[in-house]
Amino acid sequence: MSSTRAAPAPPRHRPAPERGRRGADDRRLTWRNRLYRFDMRYMPYLMIAPFFLLFIVFGLFPLLFNAVVSLRNYRLDDPTLPYWAGVENFSRLFADEDFWNALYNTFGIFLLSTVPQLLLALLVASLLNRQLRAQTWWRVGVLLPYVTPIVASTMVFSVFFSRDFGMANWALGLLGIGGADDPIDWRADKLHAWIAIATMVNWKWIGYNALLYLAAMQSIPRDVYEAAAIDGAGQWKQLWRITVPMIQPVVVFTVILSTIGGLQLFTEPMLFDPNAQAATGGPNGEWQTIAQLIYKVGWKDLNLGYAAAMSWALFLIILVVAGINYLLTNRLSGGRK
Amino acid sequence: MKRSWTHWARTAAVGAVSLVMVAACSGKSTTGGADAADGQVTLKINFWGDFGLQDLKTKYEADHPNVKIQLNSGEYNAQHEDLQKKLVAGNGAPDIAAIDEGFMVQFRSQSDKFVNLLDKGAGSYESKYLPWKWKQSLSADGKTQIGLGTDVGGLAMCYRTDLFKAAGLPTDRDQVSALWPTWDKFLEVGQQYTGKTKKKFIDAGTNLFNPILGQQQVGFYNDQEQLQMEQGPKVAFDYTVKAVQGGLSANLVSFQADWDKGFTSGAFAVLACPAWMLGHIKDTAPGTQGKWDIAAVPGGGGNWGGSFLTIPKQGKNVDEAYKLLEWLVAPEQQIEIFKKVGNLPSQPALYADPAIADFKNPFFNDAPVGQIFPKMAQGLTPQYLGKKNGPTRVAVENVIRRVENKSLKPDAAWSEAVKEADKAAKS
Repeated sequence: MSSTRAAPAPPRHRPAPERGRRGADDRRLTWRNRLYRFDMRYMPYLMIAPFFLLFIVFGLFPLLFNAVVSLRNYRLDDPTLPYWAGVENFSRLFADEDFWNALYNTFGIFLLSTVPQLLLALLVASLLNRQLRAQTWWRVGVLLPYVTPIVASTMVFSVFFSRDFGMANWALGLLGIGGADDPIDWRADKLHAWIAIATMVNWKWIGYNALLYLAAMQSIPRDVYEAAAIDGAGQWKQLWRITVPMIQPVVVFTVILSTIGGLQLFTEPMLFDPNAQAATGGPNGEWQTIAQLIYKVGWKDLNLGYAAAMSWALFLIILVVAGINYLLTNRLSGGRK
Repeated sequence: MKRSWTHWARTAAVGAVSLVMVAACSGKSTTGGADAADGQVTLKINFWGDFGLQDLKTKYEADHPNVKIQLNSGEYNAQHEDLQKKLVAGNGAPDIAAIDEGFMVQFRSQSDKFVNLLDKGAGSYESKYLPWKWKQSLSADGKTQIGLGTDVGGLAMCYRTDLFKAAGLPTDRDQVSALWPTWDKFLEVGQQYTGKTKKKFIDAGTNLFNPILGQQQVGFYNDQEQLQMEQGPKVAFDYTVKAVQGGLSANLVSFQADWDKGFTSGAFAVLACPAWMLGHIKDTAPGTQGKWDIAAVPGGGGNWGGSFLTIPKQGKNVDEAYKLLEWLVAPEQQIEIFKKVGNLPSQPALYADPAIADFKNPFFNDAPVGQIFPKMAQGLTPQYLGKKNGPTRVAVENVIRRVENKSLKPDAAWSEAVKEADKAAKS
């Protein structure tokens, strides 16, 4: 591959001899040429195709099939009903107390978990972003809850929040709240149950979000902070005026992810119930989330059509809430883009 | 022109890959059915807890070298749910599926998904079974029998002799039975026990509610599928609330860790005990051997649970499965299971067999279980369990739990129970 030119060729420049040889074995070159073009143009599509394929099989198809089922009478214990139900399953949703109760619970737990979770993650991240001893140790440490299997941690929390021998009540007792004679029954009313479940969610996800924030923070140039410090901005002001706006895309990302996760909450409320198999989320549905209600309607009441309608409603609710959150976070952190 | 070619090529490329991958994914797994060619069959049995099948499997495989049996024990609810999913999917169900009485109505109404055992000649079994047991798995039109009964849950009361003694109560099983001919008397004994020891008498309100309900003429639903809250359920509910109000209940939830712990720690002194519960107590609290005994249940007989073996139609070895099923419900095997885990057969002829009639359970102070349980099962008028029986029971049990955790006032409990049951009936 010698070139007659003495000067180094520009990187993309095709060497002259090759061009000269073209006439000799035109066919081979065209083939190679085609292969090259194929590689450049179509390979990316091929490489990404498996994802879309899996998405079609396991994402899009169930979604559409679900939509069809939601318009049907699909009762496992009563095959005699007419095939199509029209919009009956959807209109029934609006009058269904259980659905509204579950929606209320889901949003309650969602607020109690997402807001503190992201704020604390931000604080943890800014702490980790400083010069610390054993930096890696801390960083891996905050991620440990995320690595713990969710069922295992929920079982432990479920004991932690038990009425008679729970550590939560013991700790609160030390602070003079509740105590042995009047222990908090975490499963007897909405607020306590929500707090208990939100705690499990927060514990699991704070570290994960903190690491995402940390990664984004490390790309912020130091001199911005130095300039701010010279201008007299304190730590707190730096966090809110510099850090948050500058990691805004990641903030939006985590907000949307935790919206999706929070509204689909299932395992924690399910296993928090000592009588988990009933899937009622407490004797009076104190902490039954929508995902749990869908499971109950589908596999306990055996009404798959109605459960499908609920899943679609949940899907739309998540879209709307994620959209709202996107706009809000955009505005909160400076409104750029 | 060039542009459209690129577009075409992209589409084609993506399409081609998709086809290849779909083809790769749709390869069908061929366990079980495919090896039938060389005469080898694998039969899978799904059940929960301990059906006492381990030794029987070895025996059957030795007698039938072409058959391999796969025992798959799972959690009670999960197994039924799994079966339901596989029936909907039309694929993946076991060759033989055990179904509990509580789920029978649900599966009976999908009788087209099961092999009609009457076609296989099971009609001759009708006279051998307890009549109510035979009817439970029969489809509504009476033309399809989807399962053959294995055990019935004849009801008795298990009690801790050591705790009774400490409370100054008699410990002999006949004297204890005489203490509580009725549920009113039972609650009185409970008050006495709790008053003396300051400990709880029964395990849970729900475990008082269910046996009492089981003794009523009509349960939640009559045979017209109408909800009948004001009759049987009201009687059972009133006793239950009275017990909870009187502080007799340890407010535990059955089959949960705390409940299991209660057997060893003496959190309660007595519980309703169907025949199959004996195995559970023995397994959970082996250290309490000899501290238990068995007395009669207040209010006469009763039944709680009991299972059937069914053959889902989608199986590939239906005939072999039926042969195995017939073998499993044959007297020798049923007696074997009774001795092993305590499950009481549902064929009354066996109750007279000395192997059962003379059997005493050493774990329970040599209680003559072979006498106690058959008497309960035979003295039973069966109840019709409606289609919505399961969800309705859960709804009412939840109301009881709310009374137990004090988030619902006992006075308001009944109207709440009616409301919740109505909702479940309409779900």
